[in-house]
Amino acid sequence: MIFNGRPISNGKARGEVIKLEEPLSFLGGVDGSTGDIRVRDGNVAGKILVFPRGKGSTVGSYVMYDLKVHGKEPAAVINESAETIVATGAVISSIPMVDQIPSVRIFEDGDIVSVDATKGTVEIEGVVFKEVVSSVVSRNGRCILEKRPESNHSYPGCWSLVAGKVEDGESPVEAARREILEETSIEVGEPLDSMEPLYVREGKVLFKVYPFHFDAGEKDPVLNDENEDWMWASPEDAEKLGTVTDTVTVMRRFLSR
Amino acid sequence: MDLTREEESILNGEQGEGKQKAMELVTALGKIYGADSLIDITSAHLSGASYKTIGDGGLKYLEDLVAGGARVSVPSTLNPVGMDRTRWKEMHISEGFAEKQLRIIDLYGRMGIDQVCSCTPYIGPNVPSMGDHVAWAESSALSFVNSYIGARTNREGGPGALAAAILGKTANYGLHLDEKRRPTVVIDADIDGSVFSYSLLGQAVGMAIGTGIPFFKNINPEVEEAKALSAAMAASGSIALYHVDGVTPEAGGFDVSELETIHIGEKELKEAYDKLNRTDDVQLISIGCPHLTEKEMHQIASFLKDKEKRNKDIEIWFCTSAAIREKCAEDVKVMERFGLVLADTCMVVAPIEGVFERTGTNSAKAGNYLPTLCSQKAMCRDISALMELVI
Repeated sequence: MIFNGRPISNGKARGEVIKLEEPLSFLGGVDGSTGDIRVRDGNVAGKILVFPRGKGSTVGSYVMYDLKVHGKEPAAVINESAETIVATGAVISSIPMVDQIPSVRIFEDGDIVSVDATKGTVEIEGVVFKEVVSSVVSRNGRCILEKRPESNHSYPGCWSLVAGKVEDGESPVEAARREILEETSIEVGEPLDSMEPLYVREGKVLFKVYPFHFDAGEKDPVLNDENEDWMWASPEDAEKLGTVTDTVTVMRRFLSR
Repeated sequence: MDLTREEESILNGEQGEGKQKAMELVTALGKIYGADSLIDITSAHLSGASYKTIGDGGLKYLEDLVAGGARVSVPSTLNPVGMDRTRWKEMHISEGFAEKQLRIIDLYGRMGIDQVCSCTPYIGPNVPSMGDHVAWAESSALSFVNSYIGARTNREGGPGALAAAILGKTANYGLHLDEKRRPTVVIDADIDGSVFSYSLLGQAVGMAIGTGIPFFKNINPEVEEAKALSAAMAASGSIALYHVDGVTPEAGGFDVSELETIHIGEKELKEAYDKLNRTDDVQLISIGCPHLTEKEMHQIASFLKDKEKRNKDIEIWFCTSAAIREKCAEDVKVMERFGLVLADTCMVVAPIEGVFERTGTNSAKAGNYLPTLCSQKAMCRDISALMELVI
C-alpha cells in the first residue's frame, strides 16, 4: 500500500515503524544521546518514527541533531502535519521526513515501511487495503447495531454499524445503501450526513472507512445471515458493548447533531 | 514554491553543501507555511546562543556549520548567552559550562555574526527600517521591530533564522505580507503608564487572546514601554505584532471599527499580577529582561544613589548589553553597590537552577519563563518594590 505525502526533508529509508499516538516534544520526549523514548517504551534509532506532529520547545530541533551525532537518529520521520521544530530538526540532521499522510492510524508498530522523502511516498509492506462503508441508520437518536457471529473473519463477536466492503465500480454511498438493504432489508434514501474517512488497522488489513448517516424510516430491520442479532442503541448503550473500532465515535458524531 | 534559477542552483548543491542545507531548511519551512517564493532580507537576529538551551546537540550543529564554511550574508546579531563573558565566575557558573559557552560564542563569530549577545539589538547595532524584511528570532525583539519600527519578520526559530542569514533570504509568508499584518482585535487599555504597567498589560493581553494582532487604544509607549509590552505578549501569548493607535508606524492604515474590543483594566492587570507572583521571598532579584536601556540604567542608579543595601542575603543582577554597561560607567558604580551589572546574559538563559530557587523580576516575560526554564518560584513587581526588599 503506497501513500503520497508531502516531502519535507529529502532522502530515502526503509525500516520498522515505531509509532506515537500523541504529539511529540523531542525536548524531554527523547534522549538525545541514546534515542530512548521517555513517553513510551522503545527507541527511535534506525526506526521509521511516526507521530501526528511536533510540539514543545524549539530546542527539540537540536535534540534531533544530537541523535544524529550519536548515531541514534530515526531512519525517517512521518507526521500528519509538519511544524517548525521537527521540520527544522529533520532538515539540519538530514533525516528523511514526509508529512500529510492521512493519519498515524494507518501504521502499526513493527510495520516495514519504505519512505521516499524526495517524492513524498510512503509504502507499508505486506498490508492489504480495503475500502469499506459504515452507516449509522437511525431513528429517534438510536441506531441499528448488528452482532457479528464468532465465525466472522473481521471483528468476530463484535457489535457493528451496518458495514461492508465497497465493490469495484461502486461509489461509497452506493455501497452503503446496498449493504443496508442486504443486511437489514431497509431501503434508505439519500444520506443525512457523512464525515471524513477513518483509517482502521486490523492486523495486516488497513480499512479506509467511509461513515454515513441515514434515516431508518419506520421499518425494523430483518437480518440476512451475515449477522446473528440486532438492537436499537444509543452511543451510551454502545459504550457498554464490545464494538468494532470507532463505532461509538461515529455514533456520537452523527447522533449528537 | 517558485524559486529563481539562482535559488534552484543553491538547492541543487551547486554552491556547496552549507548553502544547500540552509536552502533546504528555508524552503521546507516556506512549504509548511504556504510561502509562494523567497524574499530578500536586510538583517537577521539569532537565538539559540546559550549552552543551557541548545545543549551538546546545538553546539555540534554550530561546529559542523563552521567546519563546512558557513557564513552569514546579511548583518546579523546574537541573542544573550548563558553567562557574562568576563564575570561568569561571579554568577556561580561552572568551568565546564563556561568553556562550552565561550566555544558557542566563538563559533557564531566565525560565521560573521556580531556577538553583541543582547536581546535589544534594535537599540544598536542592528536597527531595521520601516518596511524592511528581516529574519529575527527572539520573540521580544522581533515583536518590537515588527510593531514599533514597522520592519517585517515572522517568529523565526534559531536554526531557521541562521539559515536565512546565510542565504540573505527567507520564505515569503505570514507577517511579510500586507494582509497578514492587519489587526485582529482592539485592546482598550486602562493603565497607569509605568513600564511595569506595560509589562502587566502585555501579560493580560497574552492571557486574553493567546495569539492574534492587537490594536491598542489609549496608550502611548516609548521605547522602554514598548520593549516591556512586546516581551510580555510574546511570552504569555505568541504575539509577534501589534499596533498602537497614534504611535506605531502602520497603525494609521487600518479601519478597526468592525473589530471586537477587549477592555484591559485594573481587574485584568490584577489577574496578570497574581499569575506571575508565586512567592513572597526571593534569593535573587534580576532586572533587565529584555536588557536595560541607557535611560533605565540612569533611572535605577538615581533611585539607588542615596540608599544602602541592608539585606545582603539577596543577590541582585542588572542585565544589559556590554555597550550600554560601558556607556553608563557612573550608573554602574552606584548599581554595583547593590549587585552585579551583567552584560551578555539574563536570568532566563543563565543556568540559575541549582543555585537559586526563588527569583524576583520586574519582567512579565521572565515571570513566565523562570518557572518553566529555570525551575524557579517567581515574583514579579516593579523595580522600586523589588529594591524595597533589600534597602
